[in-house]
Amino acid sequence: MSSTEQGTSSAAPAEPTTAPESAAAPEVPESFYYVHGKDKVVHKVSAGALQHSALIHGMISNLGYTEEQAKANPFPFENIDGDILQMVVDWCNQHKGKPTPPEDTNLPKQKEKLFDLVLAVNYLEIKELLTYCCKQVAMMVKGKSPEEIREIWMIPTDAEDEAAEKEAKKRAGKEAAGETAAAAGDAK
Amino acid sequence: MPALVMENIIKSLDFRSVLTLRQVCRDFLNFIDRLNDSKLPDSGFSKIGIRLNKDICLKIEDQDCRQHHFIYSESDNSRSYNGKTTTLENLNVMDVAVRDLELILKFQKSTLNCSNFDLNDFQHSKESPFSVELNNMFRKINRKIKTKDLVIISDSQFGFMSILPFSDPETLEFIDLHPTDHEMQIEMDEIVKTEQWRKAKKIHCIFYALNMTVEDICHLSGFGGTMPSISFRDLDFLRKTFITNSNFEYSEFAVRDFEKIEGISDTWGPAFHSEYWSYWYFRIKDSNEKILGLKSQENIYLFQNIELNDVPNGAAVQDYNKN
Repeated sequence: MSSTEQGTSSAAPAEPTTAPESAAAPEVPESFYYVHGKDKVVHKVSAGALQHSALIHGMISNLGYTEEQAKANPFPFENIDGDILQMVVDWCNQHKGKPTPPEDTNLPKQKEKLFDLVLAVNYLEIKELLTYCCKQVAMMVKGKSPEEIREIWMIPTDAEDEAAEKEAKKRAGKEAAGETAAAAGDAK
Repeated sequence: MPALVMENIIKSLDFRSVLTLRQVCRDFLNFIDRLNDSKLPDSGFSKIGIRLNKDICLKIEDQDCRQHHFIYSESDNSRSYNGKTTTLENLNVMDVAVRDLELILKFQKSTLNCSNFDLNDFQHSKESPFSVELNNMFRKINRKIKTKDLVIISDSQFGFMSILPFSDPETLEFIDLHPTDHEMQIEMDEIVKTEQWRKAKKIHCIFYALNMTVEDICHLSGFGGTMPSISFRDLDFLRKTFITNSNFEYSEFAVRDFEKIEGISDTWGPAFHSEYWSYWYFRIKDSNEKILGLKSQENIYLFQNIELNDVPNGAAVQDYNKN
């Protein structure tokens, strides 16, 4: 298993950097958590950055992990591709403790990547980033015809959809019939 | 796409793009149609009108004063827009027209300057009258239409009542009720009880309004209509109300059963006569400049708020007297 700390890869989860001690007021050391996607690459993210994700924030609040426990139990997001999770982590780090700007121009231009990011962000419940991503998706379809939108979003027509559904039902029926026959054979 | 994602995308789109998105596939159509109206973009139209004649005509005007006409032809069973004609196959034209209007109203959030419903029921293949279809549609969308002016053309109280209660009384300023024939007599007992009637600023109803009393029109700053009859008591009631109402502008009505009203000069003093008209003038409460004028000729009466300068020389102005 490999890990990254704010975009830097290392063999094991890195220790959090400790802030220099202030003579005036001692700062509370920041806590860190660990997440990984489908590629199992572990990302170390501060609790402050993770505040953007309502899902992870809720998990952290409920778990009450210590630093050691968090390191030993990275949050697994098997449904999110590694590069997409990296984008999400980068965004959360960049916007940690800052008010989010009205626009975000650093989103992927490639539609497949953007759609994966939208799904990941929706799952992780990162409200602001979801708004930016959806705005970008909306820009893609503005002024387009239904046929062009279907092509951009890779949506089958209703007729194609119905045909696929019929085919799936047919296949499921055949499989079920096969299983019944096999079960009957076994019984004999 | 998950529902929240779709909602977010729709929020960033304009009205036209959402309508296009609706045509992409059945799932999108169902999703958009089931979406709460507050999550849809504003179509921002300024005028909407629907007229039933040989064909049904749906007219929309946008904020740039561009007009869009949709024609629904029963003979061709088609819908035409912008030079493009679509055959409606086994669909009924009236159903399609009402469905299109519903869709437009679903997206209308800003206040319309004017809404015009011409319910002059033409004999269509659909058994139920147009007013019933519209009434059902308004009940279904369950939302008051925000419009400043509301024009309804109908031949019955039922027709007017199929639209009027569905307009937002808070935004409605002017109600214009037209008959399909000016000699028509229409019962008003339900109409005058509506919140829309009671809160409107101006109302015109150009037909013989049955069961409508002067008490039903005295709150209006502007009124135009025809009443079956009027008594001196009614006229004096209106005078007393208008001289204390600083927002009053005009009230004009014609009376069907004309009889010379006795006792006016005894109470209001002699009239000032000019050509065929008789005039009386009254001072208004707390105003030195504004005067209430009543102009009358046979069966026509016009109360008007005028400037003192407009009172002709030689005409007497009665002192303010609310009794």
